[in-house]
Amino acid sequence: MIEVMGLTKYYGQLAAIEDVTFSVDEGEVIGFLGPNGAGKTTTMRILAGFSPASRGKAVVAGYDIGQRPLEVKRRVGYLPENVPLYREMLVSRFLDYVADVKAVPSRERRGEVGRVMERCGLEHMAKRIIGNLSKGYRQRVGLAQALIGNPPVLILDEPTVGLDPRQIVEIRQMIKDLGEDHTVLLSTHILPEVTMVCERVVIVNGGRVVAQDSLDSLAKGGETTYDVAVDAPEEQVSAVLKTEPKVVSFTSHGGGRYEVKGAPDCDLGTVLSGALAGLGLRELRAHTHTLEDVFIGVVSSEAAAGEHEKGGGA
Amino acid sequence: MRNMWAVCKREFTGYFVTPVGYVVVGIFAVIVGLGFCASFLFYARVSVNPTAFAYSGVPDFEETFLSPFLVFCGMVAMFIGPLITMGLLAGERHRGTMELLLTHPLRDREIIFGKYLAALGMLLVMMATIIVHLAILGRYVDVEPAVLVFGLLTVFLMGAAFVSLGLFVSSLVGNPVTAGVLTFGLWLVMYILGTFGENLPDANPAPAGWSEGVRSAIGRGYDVFRALVEQLPLDVHAKEMAQGVATPADIAYYVLFAAFFLFLTFRALESRKWRA
Repeated sequence: MIEVMGLTKYYGQLAAIEDVTFSVDEGEVIGFLGPNGAGKTTTMRILAGFSPASRGKAVVAGYDIGQRPLEVKRRVGYLPENVPLYREMLVSRFLDYVADVKAVPSRERRGEVGRVMERCGLEHMAKRIIGNLSKGYRQRVGLAQALIGNPPVLILDEPTVGLDPRQIVEIRQMIKDLGEDHTVLLSTHILPEVTMVCERVVIVNGGRVVAQDSLDSLAKGGETTYDVAVDAPEEQVSAVLKTEPKVVSFTSHGGGRYEVKGAPDCDLGTVLSGALAGLGLRELRAHTHTLEDVFIGVVSSEAAAGEHEKGGGA
Repeated sequence: MRNMWAVCKREFTGYFVTPVGYVVVGIFAVIVGLGFCASFLFYARVSVNPTAFAYSGVPDFEETFLSPFLVFCGMVAMFIGPLITMGLLAGERHRGTMELLLTHPLRDREIIFGKYLAALGMLLVMMATIIVHLAILGRYVDVEPAVLVFGLLTVFLMGAAFVSLGLFVSSLVGNPVTAGVLTFGLWLVMYILGTFGENLPDANPAPAGWSEGVRSAIGRGYDVFRALVEQLPLDVHAKEMAQGVATPADIAYYVLFAAFFLFLTFRALESRKWRA
């Protein structure tokens, strides 16, 4: 549904994004992650047709955004990051306007606006002035305008920023529901959010895609780490661990406690319990990889590597 | 087409859900009303005693009162015009709603013409206050219909031309206040240039001692400059037309003026595609 190939955007000399490539299948909910300034918004703005790419190609809902922007815009609902709205308008008037602009047939317009308001929980706010609404409700109005015309693709740029915890839960649930009949590209830097609503993530940093995979394989992949406690002198344990081929590295925390890193795709637990059994193994505990670990991992390793290559410019 | 009307409707009602529309129409009505009274009183004084004002008889009503009044209305419309146009595109940028506008399925022409038509709508509302004055006048005087029709057309054309300039300025900058001040400044510059068109000497300004080639080059350049200064100001072509004598050249001037700046607005909005 969304196909991004080698997308690059320069602001003057500065590359906001470089060679971004990823794809989103129909009906998927994709989390678009990255630290501030990673290029999330830039990428989404290009996909929504707001600003053109300097290089590369993006195909959304079957149309090339560079060649047929209007066709793409007809099929994409876009919620910009800061939720710009006409603050002086009534909620219902604004949504009527959006329905007009999105060419919803006049006789279906009322129904469509009503449907969207219901979905976003705005029915009782229809006759309020947008400027007087709270941030949470403005966010909903922003989401509502994106939903009008029922576009197959939704691009939501940080939809939960600045909301209170209850509203965050509501909006997340809403996005989750939307994921059932829409393709959703959702940017955020709140990681638990991604775990809750997304099936797959694309992580960008410094304008480049540094990881993309399903949540499960991201959490499984990479090296595995175990916390180990052994009742044996340190030299003895080190000697065993050093000879064990599956162990990549280990550190001693004193008092017989060690942190052991194993090679990817091996059952380190079995290896360790076998190797250390004779030494009085007291405890063997796997570190579970949270998305946070993965995120910090890819983002910080990339940042360290990036310093040699580029010398800033994220 | 429908999208254009949607943009136009939103923009036009936008004038009246904020104070802008009421302020603009209100100020315009006050100034036009005062202008009407002042020039009418003056005309009355002249007609009572024409010889004291160097007229041989009672001066022509249309020529000395009505047409100048209508040209004055056009000038006032332009004076207030920046308030109508300053927010058209600069306001969208300022509020960030440009991002909505450009990601909704709208063509550039639907955005630009929609906004232009909304501003023209405001102009028509302003002109309605002039028509009130003319209606009162019509009760007591027989006014030549050509003067009325072409006079009002003049006001509309002056305003329409100027609104397109304002729309263009608004498309260039990111802040409505900047757009407003810039548009107003351009109006003043054109107005002042118009006043010294008459005072420019006919002769070639190059010193007589210079070689013939250079002199004639400077002379040709000067002629163009003088023609521009004399012909470009927005009120120059209004005077005759407001008297009911409309030449195609005068009408074409306003239409081309508007078309030129609309064209530039298209280019300015398009520039997002190649500018970083």
